Amino acid sequence: MKILNKAKIVREKMKELFVVEKPENQQEGKKDIKKIARDFWYGKPHEERRLGDLYVGDTGLYKHREWRGFVDTMYYFNMIWLYNYAHMVTDIMKYGGGPVKGVVNFSKGLMRYRWMGQTYLTVMHWFDRGLEGMRGPILRGSAWHYRGMVSETIRQFQEMFASDKKLHGGKESEQWKHNIAHNETVSGSIFYGFHDVLEDIPLEMITYFVTCHVNNHTVLNYIDAAQSIGLPADPCPMCQAEYGLFVLDDYPDFAPTMITSNEACDGSVATSVIQDWFLNRPLFAMPQPMRYDDPLVQEHCQREIEECWKFIEKQYGVPFNWEMYCKYAEEQNKLTAFEHEKWDVAANTPYYPINGVAQALYRIYYSQDGNRPIWHEIDAHVRKIMNKTVKNKIVTLPKTRHRVIAWSCAPLYYSSWCTWAYNCWGLNCVINMDSLMFDQFLRTDTYEHALEDLSWYNEKAPMRAMAVGGHEHILSLWDYMERFKCDMVVMYDQLQCKGMQGIHGVFEDEFRKRDIHAIWVPHALPDKRTVSRKEIRKIISDYMITVMREEPLDPTLLDFEDDSSW
Amino acid sequence: MKKFILKIFGILAVIYAALFAVFYYDLDGKFIYYIFEPFMVKRFDNMKREDNLKTPYDMKEDVMKEE
Repeated sequence: MKILNKAKIVREKMKELFVVEKPENQQEGKKDIKKIARDFWYGKPHEERRLGDLYVGDTGLYKHREWRGFVDTMYYFNMIWLYNYAHMVTDIMKYGGGPVKGVVNFSKGLMRYRWMGQTYLTVMHWFDRGLEGMRGPILRGSAWHYRGMVSETIRQFQEMFASDKKLHGGKESEQWKHNIAHNETVSGSIFYGFHDVLEDIPLEMITYFVTCHVNNHTVLNYIDAAQSIGLPADPCPMCQAEYGLFVLDDYPDFAPTMITSNEACDGSVATSVIQDWFLNRPLFAMPQPMRYDDPLVQEHCQREIEECWKFIEKQYGVPFNWEMYCKYAEEQNKLTAFEHEKWDVAANTPYYPINGVAQALYRIYYSQDGNRPIWHEIDAHVRKIMNKTVKNKIVTLPKTRHRVIAWSCAPLYYSSWCTWAYNCWGLNCVINMDSLMFDQFLRTDTYEHALEDLSWYNEKAPMRAMAVGGHEHILSLWDYMERFKCDMVVMYDQLQCKGMQGIHGVFEDEFRKRDIHAIWVPHALPDKRTVSRKEIRKIISDYMITVMREEPLDPTLLDFEDDSSW
Repeated sequence: MKKFILKIFGILAVIYAALFAVFYYDLDGKFIYYIFEPFMVKRFDNMKREDNLKTPYDMKEDVMKEE
């Protein structure tokens, strides 16, 4: 009897994990062999895909991954899934200083740090969420963006682990002595003048920012840890998570100094104070003014950057190298130039081969991180795909009903909302605010021009420019709406962002005055507990049903559970 | 020689098919979700950690001492 019961439980579990229930209208009747063959080869038409049926309960796992047609499924299996798993292993070895050393350091880091051990092995599901429903060139282009981010993430954490005192018995290695740790929104371009001698590694990019997108369970531990020592719960959760890392002793010790900034606003001053306390080493605070357009303020910012360089020279005995700065600034300018080409295609054609989430995450990542070889590699792949889609006029998101611009700080735990929004409602998130920051070429003709542009670049950091940088920047939304030919706004509403809350009413008035369809999407940045993903979907769906009077493209995506998903 | 090459090809084909099954049925995700992540969470929850609140808040010495 017990065995029968156990067998029944196993059977039911297997059904839950692997069996997709057929919809009622497909359960009876004769099989259409031609349609089955067509669907096998080309994949089902958008409206028949029923992507919501593939989920396992509220886990976000799939009963089976999408069948995207033979060619795209084989591409996904070989060139995305297998390719990325294989390259993750080779990247770990390559960036870890050799196969054995790389694997050993990686294993140590995996077992020591929650942000590593709990998060990053789920990375292919991060791809899956962002690429759901994608076909053809947009599947390929977007996947390359993800690949770039994965490779750079591995490079950063392998650098950390190789020099981390906590993983090497407290030893200060030569590598440790040549690293500079910095806040994630201190742009990598600040360090170009020291690039070949010193290694700059953002402290929170891998330990906090990327984890929120890949596995949103991890960051909750850091937010709770911050509050557990009596710090208030109402500041920006980004700041809470970043100092929560320190409270939980989950930060790697890979550098003898730290450069902080007010990322992206003065809410993070407490983060810098706590980092100064817990890191207990020389720290340079380089806060950038919130209102920065005034020429005198710009001069002040330039002096701050120079003071930062003097700090580095003093601490490491390495002089600022002008030629080195020019070399990497010019390399970065190539990335910016290609980004403009991409924006041109996105704004003026339906042939852009990058979806909303891949556009946003890749842009914010590489422009903060600074010039690295991987970004140029990825751009070469994407350029090839984009040239093909433009030349052959391939419409990459054919079910687009509305072109959307997303504004303000995005929900990190649901960056793939725009993939869902396209699959369910035909909302094509063409561009977003974070993509538009760091939009600055760096002149290298004279030192004065270089410093001027670097100062502007630093001010145009994520959120600083367009979320808290003054109304003239925050309200540049209208210009970008026109430039990217968007007919709809998704207005992110970060509930703990005092900066954006202050201007909420102005946006409401302007949306009404300009007769713009705007959907307010509340969230708490990395913390999914305040506003769940399901609530975000409901808000968007309610607007589409009640105001836009539209029917969903895929009704199975209207209402499903994913509270426990990554 | 021909038999040996065919045997290798056969083994590779089986491995490829097995990998496809892992991919298609999301077995990697299911393994990480149900087995690996709970194990790692338990490990991290029980890990002994330094109490950083005990770190003194002093002036910091420069990395490079002035001569």
